[in-house]
Amino acid sequence: MSAAGSAPRLYWPAQRQRNRGVKGLLTVVAAFLALYAYLFPGLISVSGVAKFSQSWLPLVLVSMAQAILMLAGGVSLAIGAMVSLGAVIAATTMAGPLGVAGGAALVMVAGLVTGAACGIVVVRLGLPAIVVTLAASFIVGGAALLILPRPGGAIPAWLSDSLAGETPVAALLVILAVVLWKLYLATPLGLSLYAAGENSVAAYRAGVPVDSARIAAYAVSGLLSTCAGLFVAAQTGSGDPVIGEAFTLNSIAAAVLGGVGFLGGRGAMRGAVAGSLLLSVMINVMYFLGFPPVAHYIAQGLIIVGAVALPEFTARRSSP
Amino acid sequence: MRSTETVRFPKFQRRTLLMSRPFLTVLIVAALWIAASFAKPGFGAFGHLRYLVELGAVVGLAAIGQTFVVIAGGIDLSVGAIITVSAVGVPLVSFAGDESGAFAALITLAAATVIGALNGIGVALLRAHPMIMTLAMATFLQGLLILLAGGSAVSAQSPLLEWLGSARPTGVPAGVLVWAVASTLSLIALHATPFGARVFALGANSLAATLSGVNVRSTTVAVYAISGLTAGMTGLLLLGMNGQGYVGIGDPYLLSSIAAVVLGGTSILGGSGTYAGSIPGAVLLVTITALITVVNASPGWRSILFGSLILALLLVSGRESRRR
Amino acid sequence: MTPAPTLAARGVSKSFFGNPVLRDVSIALHPGRIHALLGENGAGKSTLINILSGALLPDEGVVEIDGRSFRGLNPRDAHRAGVAVVQQELGLTSQLSIAENIGLGALPRRYGLIDYRCLARRARAAMDLVGLDEDLATPVGDLPLGRRQMVEIAKALFREPRVLILDEPTSSLSAHEVETLTSLLDRLCAKNVAILYISHRLNEIMRVCQHVTVLKDGVVTADRSIEGVEAADLVRLMVGRDTGHLFPAWTPTTDRDPIVSVSGLSAGVLRNIDISIRRGEVLGVGGLVGQGQEDLLLSLYGALPASARTAEFNGRAKLPSSVRKANALGLAYVPADRKREGLHLIHNIGWNLMLPSFARAFGLSLRDRTKERALASALADRFTIKGDLTRQVQALSGGNQQKVALAKWTPAEPQVLLLNDPTRGVDVETKREIYALLRRLAGEGKAIVLSSSDTPELVHLCDRVAVMREGRIVATIEREALSEEAIVAASMGADLMRTAA
Repeated sequence: MSAAGSAPRLYWPAQRQRNRGVKGLLTVVAAFLALYAYLFPGLISVSGVAKFSQSWLPLVLVSMAQAILMLAGGVSLAIGAMVSLGAVIAATTMAGPLGVAGGAALVMVAGLVTGAACGIVVVRLGLPAIVVTLAASFIVGGAALLILPRPGGAIPAWLSDSLAGETPVAALLVILAVVLWKLYLATPLGLSLYAAGENSVAAYRAGVPVDSARIAAYAVSGLLSTCAGLFVAAQTGSGDPVIGEAFTLNSIAAAVLGGVGFLGGRGAMRGAVAGSLLLSVMINVMYFLGFPPVAHYIAQGLIIVGAVALPEFTARRSSP
Repeated sequence: MRSTETVRFPKFQRRTLLMSRPFLTVLIVAALWIAASFAKPGFGAFGHLRYLVELGAVVGLAAIGQTFVVIAGGIDLSVGAIITVSAVGVPLVSFAGDESGAFAALITLAAATVIGALNGIGVALLRAHPMIMTLAMATFLQGLLILLAGGSAVSAQSPLLEWLGSARPTGVPAGVLVWAVASTLSLIALHATPFGARVFALGANSLAATLSGVNVRSTTVAVYAISGLTAGMTGLLLLGMNGQGYVGIGDPYLLSSIAAVVLGGTSILGGSGTYAGSIPGAVLLVTITALITVVNASPGWRSILFGSLILALLLVSGRESRRR
Repeated sequence: MTPAPTLAARGVSKSFFGNPVLRDVSIALHPGRIHALLGENGAGKSTLINILSGALLPDEGVVEIDGRSFRGLNPRDAHRAGVAVVQQELGLTSQLSIAENIGLGALPRRYGLIDYRCLARRARAAMDLVGLDEDLATPVGDLPLGRRQMVEIAKALFREPRVLILDEPTSSLSAHEVETLTSLLDRLCAKNVAILYISHRLNEIMRVCQHVTVLKDGVVTADRSIEGVEAADLVRLMVGRDTGHLFPAWTPTTDRDPIVSVSGLSAGVLRNIDISIRRGEVLGVGGLVGQGQEDLLLSLYGALPASARTAEFNGRAKLPSSVRKANALGLAYVPADRKREGLHLIHNIGWNLMLPSFARAFGLSLRDRTKERALASALADRFTIKGDLTRQVQALSGGNQQKVALAKWTPAEPQVLLLNDPTRGVDVETKREIYALLRRLAGEGKAIVLSSSDTPELVHLCDRVAVMREGRIVATIEREALSEEAIVAASMGADLMRTAA
């Protein structure tokens, strides 16, 4: 083991190779960021970064949650409901006897357990992910409504201030999420995700734990979604049982923008992160340029179709 | 001659009908209605049941297109948005000379059909995944709507819409009549025309369909166009029943349309199913919603029950879903 | 006394859906010996490999590892006992790096994380063995096919196997890569690894292997040392099955003007092919598996984008650009994989028989059920498909499914029938019926193109046989010169022809 000093380098070069696919996207994101910084010079300040990362954090978390599943060859229509669940659990427990730590733990456990349950139904029973997660979105959304029938509850003020105040804690949390993802991918279970998504039969033959990798992906996806809910609750200072609804579509949009394919094994998490950043910046820029707040829907729809259609056109041209 | 004919195509067996999913769904609806009438007087009153069927017509119309798309192996997530577009769009295309409102309705339906066809073109030619394509379309339409309608409710009055919303020729609500006609036409199209056979072929095995000479592209565009058309009809009916349209009016009908299709026994993987199942599926859906309201279940429980039901039905037909 | 075999099969039999694929087969792999397994397509080689590696259970007989017999060997046991298989089809993950692919399924770990240093070191060692000098971090998706094959071999070596099974490892390798592989095998041999080597390249086998087992129709026809064996002997042991009365007697038709002629056809793996199909003939297309036979049929059928210098189809000077146009020109295609490409398994037999008619008809016309039933019944009678036509097609046996796939084109009265391996996985009785049907159709003046992996079929049924290799037609053998030896020789390349001549 200690002789590894002379071993060939692998980890970082492999990471760099995975960047190639998203270079174009990263350039576009950088351009948008530069435009935003030009329009709104306040961005390059502590509070500017804080504000921006706060608007970005929930989106990046749900995009990661969706991308994990898509990499493993699945999809989830329950992301939004999971976000709502996280938000209402946080808003009903954190101000109570459980305290912030207890509440946060409960949020995470709820995400892991619900996600894993979905995963087990999909993987072990071999049912289509779309319908299972559609059903799950009703069940989880219903549970959120039971916990908190109407907007209310409370998040301790100090938590809201520290997460969504003037300090860029949210930016640090984005970094933390990415680092944790890297660690997960560095485990055999995490890396198996790609193999399970691209060619599950061959992977199984080679001894890859395909089923466990996919169920774990659903659990991690649930965890990320409820954590996004916790943050949203902290931002607003209270819980709302339907606050997450828009996140299902947005998470798919960001992942698709980032080049993550629907059939599994195509694309990379960094693409999804960049995709969510692009969506986030785009919304901010359009808002800043005085577009009505709804115009970004149109732009978003056009961009998604464009992102899907472009590879198809280029592929057609290159093959005779 | 007779005997060989019956060997090749055995006489219709009563058991086949009794075992079929559409019939099972009808039975569930009937059982629910009977049980609920005993438990709660007034539930079984003709007026109330008629009201349920009238609500079912809205879901059922939206489920027509969804059934075609799902049988063809796709899914349409833009149904809700198209419903909203047509409900909100009618006043925009109304003009002075159009006394009855029929022209405005026709223009709206044509627009909805075109939107659906665009979905189909995206899926067939750009080879975008149906979920992505229709989702993008939904997002796009949502933005367009707020731009056009400005976010406030619009109301539209025309004799046609009034008739749709409140007329009851021979005691049958106009919406139910429209639904009945549309259902008949779609059942014929699905089961008695070569086009319908192509839709099934496409969903069961698109590669084999292509090699058998089926024009996969035009069939795909057609099923999404049908979905746009029936979503447009749903929007008009909703506008008539509500008296006004607003952004978001169609949203609940996206998931209901999918649920009605699944409840009716159509495979979400495509290739098999029938609209005959989606009809009782739609009525079952509104019945369950009504029941949950009757027993005063909270919206939370309502949602949980609904989701569990979909899951349970999926488990029942699970054997079939693993065939690939 | 010779040492005990590392891996052996004793008296193994296996049948699929009543078709025996292996009958009482025994094979023994000894440490330090390279053992060749030879046989024609469909002789049962893949089934034998799957049994040896635990992916399939034999109906009868046992698999022995180090003299210990296993009744229910599974892939994990085989794995643990040191059996590694390099499959014909690749199972790599294109997004991941070479090293990660090599390690997948057996990743070294430290503190629960992948030990990337250890992985790098061991993957490098495995790559050095097979002569892969690419960077460890290169995504597998970037590699050409041959290099991926080498990664697959490195992946097997990474597990330090005691038995290495290679299923046609050289089919996509360059000459240089084959050289590297050969010397690697020698070195492994010296380290007492037992190796089973499957290849269609006879000269390669003669050079590399020490022992050979020949399979013919699921039976071992030779199990001997390779010393003193001629390539021609091996060919003779592989072919020459007893054909009995399988094939109809027929005389060539005189009416033989071309109905389709194409020159300079390129599509998929096809390079510059000239072909002409004549009325009243059965034109065979032979060769090893995957030499472009399927692409040839598909491009004629308009299902594969193709270009041609000149083309004439039934009097029209153009390649059909879509399946519908091909149908309109009088072409029909019966795919090899009837479950995936030919039939709609969940739909009923009658419906499947009618599908081409549905595809042709005006979409919104009303279907006439009575007419459909009469037509479907007539077709079923003609093709002797028995029983209820409202059953799902998947309920039928392979042979009857194939009849449905053939019968459904009859109402369209195609002038050119393109058949891709129509007798694969079909019982003997159905084969006989299909053969008779093909000759009858040819007798009626139809043109038939029969691509087949079954050489006797080509010899006994065809007026001419075009043999393909690497996307080209390398020989067209006329009826007078047709023999199994001639076809096999042409499909395996020129140097064998010299040896056999």
